[in-house]
Amino acid sequence: MWQNFFAVSIKNSSIGMISELKIELNTLINLEYDTAKLQAIIKQTTLKQHTDFEDHYDYLTKLQMENRKLKHRFAVIKKSITEEQETNGKMHNDDNLSITEHLEKVFTSAIANAYPCFCNVRAIIAAVNVSSPFGDYQCNNAMGLSKKMKIEGIIKAARDIAVDIQKCIPESPIIEKLEVSSAGFINIFLSKKFAVRSLTNMLRDGVRPPRVLKQRVLVDFSSPNIAKQMHVGHLRSTIIGESICRLLEFLQHDVIRINHLGDWGTQFGMLIAHLEDCFPNFINESPPIGDLQEFYKESKKRFDSDDNFKKRAYNRVVTLQKGKTESIKAWQHICDVSRKEFQQIYDRLDVTIHERGESFYQSRMLKVVEFLRVKGLLEFDDGREIMWPDDSKSGIPLTIIKSDGGFTYDTSDMAAIRHRVEEDLATWIIYVVDSGQSTHFNAIFKAAKRCGILNSNVHRVDHVQFGLVLGEDGKKFKTRSGDTVKLADLLDEGMKYSLKQLQERGRDQILTPEELVEAQEAVAYGCIKYTDLSHNRISDYIFSFDKMLDDRGNTAVYLLYTYTRICSIARNSGDDFSNLGAILDTYNIKLDHKKEWKLAKTLLKLHDVLIQCARGLFLHYLCEFCYEVCVVFTEFYDDCYCIEKNKSGQIISVNHSRILLCEATAVVLRKCFHILGLKPVSKM
Amino acid sequence: MAGEDLIIKFQELGMSEQKAKETIKNANVTRNLQLALAETTKPLSDGVGMLLYHMATKLKPQIAAELPLLVRYISERKLDNTQRVDAALEYLLKCVQKKNATVDVAELDRECGVGVVVTPEEIERVVQHKVKGTYKQILLEQRYHFNSFKIMQDVRNELKWADAKFLKAAIDVEIFDLLGPKTETDLIPLPKQNEKQLKVKANTDVKSDVKVSSTSAATPDDDGANTIAELMKTKVHFHAPGDNFKTDGYVVTDHTEQLLRDHLQRTGGRVQTRFPPEPNGILHIGHAKAININFGYAAAQKGVCYLRYDDTNPEKEEEKFFIGIRQMVEWLGYTPYKITYSSDNFQQLYEWAVVLIKKNLAYVCHQKAEELKGFNPPPSPWRERSVDESLQLFEDMKHGKIDEGAATLRLKLTLEEGKQDPVAYRIKFIPHHRTGSDWCIYPTYDYTHCLCDSIEDITHSLCTKEFQSRRSSYYWLCNALNIYCPVQWEYGRLNMNYALVSKRKIAKLISERIVHDWDDPRLFTLTALRRRGFPAEAINNFCAQMGVTGAQISVDPSMLEAAVRDVLNVTAPRRLVVLQPLKVTISNYPNAGPVELQVPNFPQNPSLGLHKITLDRVIYIERSDFKLEPEKGYRRLSTKQSVGLRHAGLVINVQEVIRDPATGEVVELVCNSESAEQAEKPKAFVQWVSQPIELEVRLYEQLFKHKNPEDPNEVPGGFLSDINENSMSVMHAYSDQSLRGVKVYDKFQFERIGFFSVDPETSGTRIVFNRTVGLKEDSGKK
Repeated sequence: MWQNFFAVSIKNSSIGMISELKIELNTLINLEYDTAKLQAIIKQTTLKQHTDFEDHYDYLTKLQMENRKLKHRFAVIKKSITEEQETNGKMHNDDNLSITEHLEKVFTSAIANAYPCFCNVRAIIAAVNVSSPFGDYQCNNAMGLSKKMKIEGIIKAARDIAVDIQKCIPESPIIEKLEVSSAGFINIFLSKKFAVRSLTNMLRDGVRPPRVLKQRVLVDFSSPNIAKQMHVGHLRSTIIGESICRLLEFLQHDVIRINHLGDWGTQFGMLIAHLEDCFPNFINESPPIGDLQEFYKESKKRFDSDDNFKKRAYNRVVTLQKGKTESIKAWQHICDVSRKEFQQIYDRLDVTIHERGESFYQSRMLKVVEFLRVKGLLEFDDGREIMWPDDSKSGIPLTIIKSDGGFTYDTSDMAAIRHRVEEDLATWIIYVVDSGQSTHFNAIFKAAKRCGILNSNVHRVDHVQFGLVLGEDGKKFKTRSGDTVKLADLLDEGMKYSLKQLQERGRDQILTPEELVEAQEAVAYGCIKYTDLSHNRISDYIFSFDKMLDDRGNTAVYLLYTYTRICSIARNSGDDFSNLGAILDTYNIKLDHKKEWKLAKTLLKLHDVLIQCARGLFLHYLCEFCYEVCVVFTEFYDDCYCIEKNKSGQIISVNHSRILLCEATAVVLRKCFHILGLKPVSKM
Repeated sequence: MAGEDLIIKFQELGMSEQKAKETIKNANVTRNLQLALAETTKPLSDGVGMLLYHMATKLKPQIAAELPLLVRYISERKLDNTQRVDAALEYLLKCVQKKNATVDVAELDRECGVGVVVTPEEIERVVQHKVKGTYKQILLEQRYHFNSFKIMQDVRNELKWADAKFLKAAIDVEIFDLLGPKTETDLIPLPKQNEKQLKVKANTDVKSDVKVSSTSAATPDDDGANTIAELMKTKVHFHAPGDNFKTDGYVVTDHTEQLLRDHLQRTGGRVQTRFPPEPNGILHIGHAKAININFGYAAAQKGVCYLRYDDTNPEKEEEKFFIGIRQMVEWLGYTPYKITYSSDNFQQLYEWAVVLIKKNLAYVCHQKAEELKGFNPPPSPWRERSVDESLQLFEDMKHGKIDEGAATLRLKLTLEEGKQDPVAYRIKFIPHHRTGSDWCIYPTYDYTHCLCDSIEDITHSLCTKEFQSRRSSYYWLCNALNIYCPVQWEYGRLNMNYALVSKRKIAKLISERIVHDWDDPRLFTLTALRRRGFPAEAINNFCAQMGVTGAQISVDPSMLEAAVRDVLNVTAPRRLVVLQPLKVTISNYPNAGPVELQVPNFPQNPSLGLHKITLDRVIYIERSDFKLEPEKGYRRLSTKQSVGLRHAGLVINVQEVIRDPATGEVVELVCNSESAEQAEKPKAFVQWVSQPIELEVRLYEQLFKHKNPEDPNEVPGGFLSDINENSMSVMHAYSDQSLRGVKVYDKFQFERIGFFSVDPETSGTRIVFNRTVGLKEDSGKK
């Protein structure tokens, strides 16, 4: 029985087990299958991810390497810049620094070292009259510091402060000695060694520009209107603008010269309409418009009297703006006539300028309107859309869109300034335009800052304004008949005057015909330009050929004569001064005579003067400097023999050092003349 | 052919045909001889020919212009023996230092003793005086073993121009007169000291592509020496400091004389060398040669040697390499005079570059690196640009204004192999280990190396043969800058067969997990050799044996291992260790318990100390020292053959072999023992241990199967396919307790096995040994 029981139970349980096993086995097989599947997936994905990762990893390494390199390059460049700036301050063999700037650096650091609490005080350096016995430059800070300290409750005499500052002056190659005056001035005496070296280098390498931060400068000047007279106002803009360009180019700036021609506007409607009537075949044949001004007057007359013509004229404005071929063609013809006239003037005055008229900004005006509208700066005002120059909304607003939907000068000037900043990438924009426009330009500048076109930290804008040219009667410059003076006529008259003067001096007998014409032009155009530039540009001046051609005083004629005289000295010495390097290998400049020293010190002011000119864009400083150089040179030449001759006119001795000094003077004058647009002639 | 004619002409000079043929192979000597023959017209009188030959072999290029003068003097018998010819050559060479100096004939005559006649009577008188006076005592003592050359030199001091042959004869006569005929003892040669060296030489596997240029430091027929000091003192013939101008190829300028004088003033005439590794990798056996030559030569000459890290390339330098290099130099037993860095001179090097530009000897070039590759790169179109432009551009390069690769500074110079205008500076926007962000232009090896040598007033710039082609640029640069110009001497590289030293390839071996790290004992880096247990002294001696010839040497590791054995044999104490233990129970163990035995560290020399080992009833012997079925000639333990236990004074016989019932493997032997004095003398004694401690022992074999694993002809699959899979095996060995407290790098001879060194991985209870070398060259193979 027991056996049976066991047998049954075993049988039962074994049946149960088998079925259980089967189930288990199935589950197991399924599981294994799943595992294999999952493993395959895992393998696939990890493989994929791995390769993905590797790709990315390589890319990452590459980027990291690149980043590391850029960082290093950045550090190197930054260091180089700092070094460059430091060497500027130290003036190691660096003739390119102006003396005043150097002294400012030296004394600013001396003040900071002597009185760390005044470390942000900038040294005040003033040039002293070249003949003064109390040094050549002065530092005037001690008095001011004494007052400042008094406010803080510290009583210290200016003299004592000056002594403290003097003790902290680092060694400088340009300072010979320092003296403290009882009042507290620190008198600075220039080193002769430095002067000799600077002048020698100047003779060897020419005048090097003083070092300034290089900028991209856009100068907008001349800017006459098509079909209208180029008057003396444009003459001023042209002369001043050209000289500013030359100055800034010499200072190594990147200069863009722009002629903002008035070549767009409603007047073209009537001109085109009139052209169609006078020269129906203008499409195929260039219309021979002789006198555009006359042509303008005629059309104006018809416009005012003939309603049909007036209607057609308005229509032509529309077709022109829409870019219709015939109207464009007509417009181009008209512009070309003016353009040729302008170019003649520019050629005579040796002016280089690139035309970019108002028409250029057509599409950009649309864009600038959109730009201002998006910024929410346009406001409706009596049918117009205006923009306030600043957030206070005071003063006169700019009219961006007229009530008839047209644009104004405000619109085109906003478009132009935006183009100049954003496309030309200029960081300094100079408008050479008469003083009458100052309100307008102030508003434009403010508005450009308000809408974010200009950034005061990055951009500099200047309205270089100038006064009127007056007739000898002190009134607006006009012809005797009361018309505005045509520029071409004025230049012709200048030629006549200068020829007359040369003839009076008998130069027509001495010079060859070519030399005479050269001299005539140099005198005529030179004196017109120089008169303009030698006055503070903001004030008005009286236009007088007689004064201009005076050979005494601060005139172009005096400068040119002095220059030719300087040139003749080396020529008459009997030695060859054409290779200055060779002469300098044998002879040194000596500055023992007090007039020699005075002349040297005067010449060395050039860099200071150039920087002063560039700072306020005033060129009369440079004219004054030229005049001073000539006066001081004359003093030198009166006192110091360069070439000694005996009674029979034979050369006994040649003082090479002094002739080198003459040559240095000529080099300096030549550089100044170039900036001022004077053409030096060696014979006159 | 012309060759035949020449052979005949040379024979007319007095050469044998064999010699004439050999001479023709030497282009230099041949040319000199041809020029000399052109100068002579009449038939040559006796001996003149061979003197001309002598002169031709010794004439240096600096004084080649004086050949006609020499020929005339020899023909006119003014220089009638080799001594006078040598004196003339020496004098002329001395004149070279001053450029364009003319030869002062009167002084030449005086220097060479022209016309000085020493009569036989005079010679006899002086020799007699020496032999019977000064040297009498020592001659009587040493008899014919005394080197009579000393007497000859002495006489020469008095009679400078005495004829050598006659002098020798006179000395021999006088000595004979003093000592009488040679006795038997006089004929027995003195025991030689150099036997070992000769044996070593026989082992060397020196490649025979020996191209020894005339500039190489040593003469071709001498080899190495036993030690570096010996090598440097006896086998190396470099110029003396300040005699730079006397070396071949040295360029003498108007300033040389002054520059050398100033140099001597600065150094005080001291020899100054330098070891200049690039700190971008680990030093290997090849560097050991450089270290030994530079430091060794300086030491032998009582000079100094700089360790200069040539760290001009900012890309690769890592701190660990700097430290590693220094450690290895110190490990080899040298102390740098100063540790310098090429980068310390960056400012000076830059200023010199500006000077070169100003002299129109260097220019900025914009050719791309890939344009300059290959055999015939196009000449630079910027070669003739103005000095000002190059100056400006070079400054721009320095200031970071120019892109990497967009400009280089190149020297206006053509190298020996025709390479044009080597690059001196290139732009790299990578910060430098030492100069940080100071520079983004970095000088090249070609530019830096010689100038740093000059700055450090190196007297002998020793480098490997590959740099021979840079010698002219080396001299050119120093002279272009008017600075002191050291002399470059080249020696052959040392290559190790079955090894690989390239940094990149070792890195690959590591990343492929074939070896463990830079100091894996299978490698030939110096750290690896140290870890494997090679004594520094052995490495140095090995280098000494290789010598300083110009030939490139390829040598098997066995050569180095032999040097290692020589050192370890006398320095590594003996120990008993069994690598594969087999348990042995001594059934009739004679003692009550464990006993301690005193065992000498060096059995040949017991005075060098003792250590204790334990003997107990259970001992372990090497499994391979027992054989169930011994072959013929088997000398160790078997069931029928007894064996002695080293140092135990016992001989054991197998009583019972106990096997693992499952595998049949022998697991234990039961033996009985007899005292060694009573027992029949066994055929062998084996090592054993009792109460052992366990050691991890690592055995190494060559990593590569082929001699040149990098050679694609030998190993087409690349070096990774040539790995010996069994190059490392790990054993768990038994040793006695005396090895318990060992320190890293302690070295022992495990008796009958080999030399072993404690691995740095040893810690506390885990003791790891590396096999340095087997006892015999083939013992690793068994």
